[in-house]
Amino acid sequence: MIRRTLFSALLVGLALWMLRPDTPVTALQGEQSGSHPELSGFLTDSRGQAISDAEVLVFLNDAAEPAVRTTSSEDGSWVVDLPGTDLESVHVEVERHHYESFTYRLTEAEVERLRMDGSFAFNTIILENQITLGFWVAAAAFIFTLLLIASERLQNALAALAGISIVFAATFILGAFNESFYVLNMERALAYINWEVIFLVMGMMIVVGILEGTGIFQWLAFQAYRVSRGRISLLIIVLIVITSVASALLDNVTTMLLMAPISLQIALALGIDPLALLIPEILASNISGISTLIGTPTNILIGAYAGIGFNDFLINQTLGVLGAMVVMIVVVLYFFRGELKKTSGGISEALYNKLKENAQIKDARTLKWSGVVFAGMLFFFIVGESLHMVPSVTALLGATLLLLLVEPDIEKMLRVVDWTTLVFFMALFMLVGAVQEVGLLGVFAEVMGNLIGANLPLGIVVLVFGAGLLSFVIANIPLAAAMLPVVRFVSAGIPGAAESQVLYYALSMGAAMGGNGFIISGETNLMTSGIAERAGYPISFARYLRIGVPVTLLTLAAGTGWLFLRFALTGG
Amino acid sequence: MATILCATRGGEASIHTQEHAIQLAQDQDANLVFLYVADVQFLTQATAAIVVDVATEIEHMGEFLLLMAKERAEKAGVKAETLVKRGVFRYALAEAAQEVGAALIVLGSPQEDNLTMHSLLDEIAEAIKEQTGVDVLIVGRNNAV
Repeated sequence: MIRRTLFSALLVGLALWMLRPDTPVTALQGEQSGSHPELSGFLTDSRGQAISDAEVLVFLNDAAEPAVRTTSSEDGSWVVDLPGTDLESVHVEVERHHYESFTYRLTEAEVERLRMDGSFAFNTIILENQITLGFWVAAAAFIFTLLLIASERLQNALAALAGISIVFAATFILGAFNESFYVLNMERALAYINWEVIFLVMGMMIVVGILEGTGIFQWLAFQAYRVSRGRISLLIIVLIVITSVASALLDNVTTMLLMAPISLQIALALGIDPLALLIPEILASNISGISTLIGTPTNILIGAYAGIGFNDFLINQTLGVLGAMVVMIVVVLYFFRGELKKTSGGISEALYNKLKENAQIKDARTLKWSGVVFAGMLFFFIVGESLHMVPSVTALLGATLLLLLVEPDIEKMLRVVDWTTLVFFMALFMLVGAVQEVGLLGVFAEVMGNLIGANLPLGIVVLVFGAGLLSFVIANIPLAAAMLPVVRFVSAGIPGAAESQVLYYALSMGAAMGGNGFIISGETNLMTSGIAERAGYPISFARYLRIGVPVTLLTLAAGTGWLFLRFALTGG
Repeated sequence: MATILCATRGGEASIHTQEHAIQLAQDQDANLVFLYVADVQFLTQATAAIVVDVATEIEHMGEFLLLMAKERAEKAGVKAETLVKRGVFRYALAEAAQEVGAALIVLGSPQEDNLTMHSLLDEIAEAIKEQTGVDVLIVGRNNAV
């Protein structure tokens, strides 16, 4: 009881901390006084991206030591107040790891202006990237991590930890002997961790852990069996709808781990190939999550990075997702047309009762409270934006309330929070931060930017199909995390794209739909395959490929078509 | 009366194994026990949070699959029992053999022409024979181990 209360108090505390008003950020670290002359400016890289944390040193009257120093803020701006007005000469130096140093000596006329006007603003200062040994270390660590994840040689969290450890070892050990190995320090690495994502994922894990343990989805699947009365096509469609709704609001993998065993039993009861139900459910699960912020981990990442809210995903993605679902349903009904013709001879009363027993609601009281709290959470996900309430706060408040209401075993609840996933996210954020810091993502972004130019339709196609096809073989979470800064850069070069955020939606669609390509493309696929194998119905790579690839290509095309319609043709 | 233990999953490939075990039980006038092992080792590959009790869901699925096998036996006039165990297949099978006092264990041979799977099954059969002293028959092969 005490531990549950303490844990709940911790969650509420976290939620309140996240709700705190934003503290104004100032870059000014030098002396501040209204009567002193002021120097200011902006720092960007050659692609126009703001450079933060650069050190700006101001030397006065040819002194050897700087009179004032400050660091640039997130938007690249910096400002310093100069001590005194007795100015003979002023020169400014800007230094930052991974960039060429910048030095400028103000002309006599500029010094005079500074004295007379009390301020002088630099034009935007552009710092050129510098390829250091740290660049190659960070690039190698990132590629090494992606290979470890793709080859499943190491668990994802461990692979990401290995990657960031290489970066830190280079920075702190090799960097002690040769500064060129420096990548980023711990403070900077921690700044790349998106805590909103961490707490949103953690809160949702608790809610999902409680809600899905009630047996609601198994019960719904059984109702679908009853309602369909042996009409296989209707059953497939109803199961697709149930899986889609569950996956859009909850976690895909968990949804399928619950839906797969009961669907398998239903298929056997009807005398059809269980894969005729399982494969459409996998496909639906991967597609439907795209329409909400909490539907896929990639959407959570994209939402937090680009400030895309629950409503934005709903409004801008849902119709595209529905279009893709219709395409998918048509393809699966055609693919499994042989199964649709089968007629069941009916099952024994014992089997029917067993099926019913396996699909019953396990905990009605918890289901009732879970339903109420989850409805409340959905409400706050939707209206939260107008209250400046970020989704992670809603998730934490919902999780806490649910814990207090249903009084679960807190030890069990702490176990359902998958700490390895949270560690994976944290290590991945730092690793992506490292490659961003050294300018690798900038190089890639430039290549993408040159390829796409200011052509929005081309940008949509490249992002949807590029992310989609890469997701066949690369885990979509690291892919999306690495692509986010690239998308920001490419968006900046296309009129209107930064405002409409269309390319982020394209990334969301591509990364999620691409997970349908191969049986190994996504965890939902692999886990469902594991369950099917336990019942003697393995989903072979080749068999899945025959439906996975066409469905993926067609749904990517449907998603692209929707984004064209919504943003490229009508202007969003 | 001797007891035949038939470990089965329930797929199309298992039906042949089940029918073979039913026939053996009929011929030898033996007790027949169908076993399903809820082995959830595949979940260790997951990186996503597994927040539900998957093993229980798979046990329920196993109960359903065994009920189908039992009905198949009853149709052939053989009374069969069912047993669901949780754990790693080879250990759960050995444990079940000792628990029911099996005189013969019947396993199915993988349908696919997969040498790794075949040798793995042979290895399991040898280990179980060594551990329990119970003969293991792999349906689809000629001789019992």
